[in-house]
Amino acid sequence: MNNLLKFELRKIFAKRVNLLALSFILALSLMFSFATLQNMYATDGSGIEGSGKAAVEIDKQIAKKYAGPLTDEKVQEMMTEFKPGHDLHGMNAKYLYMNATQSAAFSRFSDMNGDWNGLSVSDVFGDEVIKIGYTAGWLQTSQNLAKILIVLSFVIILITAPVYSGEYGGVDAIILTTKYGKTKCATAKIMASFMASFFITAFVLAVNLLFAVTIYGTDGLGCSILFAHQDFVEGYIPFNITCGTVIKYQILLAFLSALAVTGISLIVSSLCKNQMIAFVISAALYVIPVLLPISEVSPLYRVIVLAPLFYSQYISIMSVGRMANGWLYAVWAIPVALMIAIIGAVFSRKKFQTYQVG
Amino acid sequence: MELKTHELTKRYGPKIAVNHLNLTLHSGVYGLLGANGAGKTTLMRLLCDIQTPTSGKITLNGKDISSLGEKYRNLLGYLPQNFGYYPDFTALNFLLYIASLKGLPQEQAKRKAEKLLEAVGLSNVKDRKIKTFSGGMKQRLGIAQAILNDPRILILDEPTAGLDPKERVRFRNLISSFSKDRVVILSTHIVSDVEYIAEEIIMMKSGTILHFGKPQEITAEIDGQVWECQVPTDHAERYGETLNISNLRNLENNKTVLRVISEKQPVQNAVQVQPTLEDLYLYYFKGEDEA
Repeated sequence: MNNLLKFELRKIFAKRVNLLALSFILALSLMFSFATLQNMYATDGSGIEGSGKAAVEIDKQIAKKYAGPLTDEKVQEMMTEFKPGHDLHGMNAKYLYMNATQSAAFSRFSDMNGDWNGLSVSDVFGDEVIKIGYTAGWLQTSQNLAKILIVLSFVIILITAPVYSGEYGGVDAIILTTKYGKTKCATAKIMASFMASFFITAFVLAVNLLFAVTIYGTDGLGCSILFAHQDFVEGYIPFNITCGTVIKYQILLAFLSALAVTGISLIVSSLCKNQMIAFVISAALYVIPVLLPISEVSPLYRVIVLAPLFYSQYISIMSVGRMANGWLYAVWAIPVALMIAIIGAVFSRKKFQTYQVG
Repeated sequence: MELKTHELTKRYGPKIAVNHLNLTLHSGVYGLLGANGAGKTTLMRLLCDIQTPTSGKITLNGKDISSLGEKYRNLLGYLPQNFGYYPDFTALNFLLYIASLKGLPQEQAKRKAEKLLEAVGLSNVKDRKIKTFSGGMKQRLGIAQAILNDPRILILDEPTAGLDPKERVRFRNLISSFSKDRVVILSTHIVSDVEYIAEEIIMMKSGTILHFGKPQEITAEIDGQVWECQVPTDHAERYGETLNISNLRNLENNKTVLRVISEKQPVQNAVQVQPTLEDLYLYYFKGEDEA
């Protein structure tokens, strides 16, 4: 069995197109990470400004001053420290960006002119204790991961779509007449597919998270996502969870996505005689849920967000709700992904075993 | 060992590929002959259990092969008509992969693969990727994978396609030395290959068996119907339009020797000759679509 598994993995990783796809996703990860870093800008309002790594350092220094639970006193200090010293020419001060801490404070506690809007911390966040710090780097990493994980799903489909359909081009007749062709071989194919998907997912996550740890450090991981700069105010996860929790959910959802996408791809692969058709159909099945006209208020929305695409695009599934034990609704992705994977494995194995060579 | 088909039938929609076929095979080399569409490949796929019969069954020593599963496939070696392979695998790795599928232990698999690569003349290119192989080399690799597990039942669909004469001789010798106490079934359009090594001939047409027997027995069917005659070379083409000619050979004296299959004496100077398998093949399949 080990030997068969080794050969099935070799088939996957020896293909030039698969290696190209892996190189592409690696390049995309690095490109997103560096581009995000390069686009960062911060000023402390007293003449010190910078972009890229310098901006991160400025942001971290400012965040350090206010680190800990958010209080009304800290809000007042921020409003004073970051009061615009120039005419905004009619721009709403909520959208003013000097640094991550200023943007987070202004988007919640500023009026149009950059003065305090009169709201207290409890007015904005209720009884929640909002731990603040430098979160911008990790939140950007998280958003980049969402895009990369969607591309990763297509890569997984690309490498797993030919698992059966690639054999139907002629080797099937040989495989299915061998002793283990209909039994251990089918099992090895399934195991290799899941292993390859998991390995690639782990690799992509590792590259992105290592970059983030190196550049942004780990301090922000313990801070709430709710006190984040303007980009993360609307349409973001509305629960008081830490950046670390978001990243943990994303890691979990990334592996669940790999599991579910592989399951879907295996089913389609076992049914299609052509690997390109298998790829297109699997990709279409992956994308279709996001195209359905189901609004967030519809009861069906809670079902549709359990489709694998939403595991990568984590915001929707993580915004649905929070359970009494503190877990997010997103944990329902675990049984759903497992179910898709099991159905994929069982169905595709059966289909391959009974395949009529023609 | 007795491999038997019982009223074996395979339909593809309205078309019957194999029609209520009853066949009993024991150890020996069987040559399967028939024009395209005769049902040879379907019969082989049914025997390999990679197609399910519409009705009827196949038994091995009285047991239905579909219920034997791994036990049956462990006895099987198969070379399909269109041999599929992994372009990026080397010849050796391909054989080692097939050996794993056939359940050979790693050490034995390596020994056996090396030995077979030597036997089919591919040992010097064993580490080359299959995509760089010629058609004949791929076919030889296909033959090697089929006999990797010393199968008791060896089924070869067009094994000599793409092989040059020297390779065909090598193949015939390999099969002859291999066939003892085994059922070997091979289909081919090259009648001479079958004539050399097959002990029994199965001739198929429209999914049914026309003839089943030893070559000399089944050629007796057309005893007295094969003729040879000399005609002027200029007229040879004209004779071809009206007679069933199985061979023609030009002589130096502007004459051509025709080998004719005909119930009656085709021309005045024609003499009867001993029929061959090729004559019989042409007798039945002349004019049918051939590969």
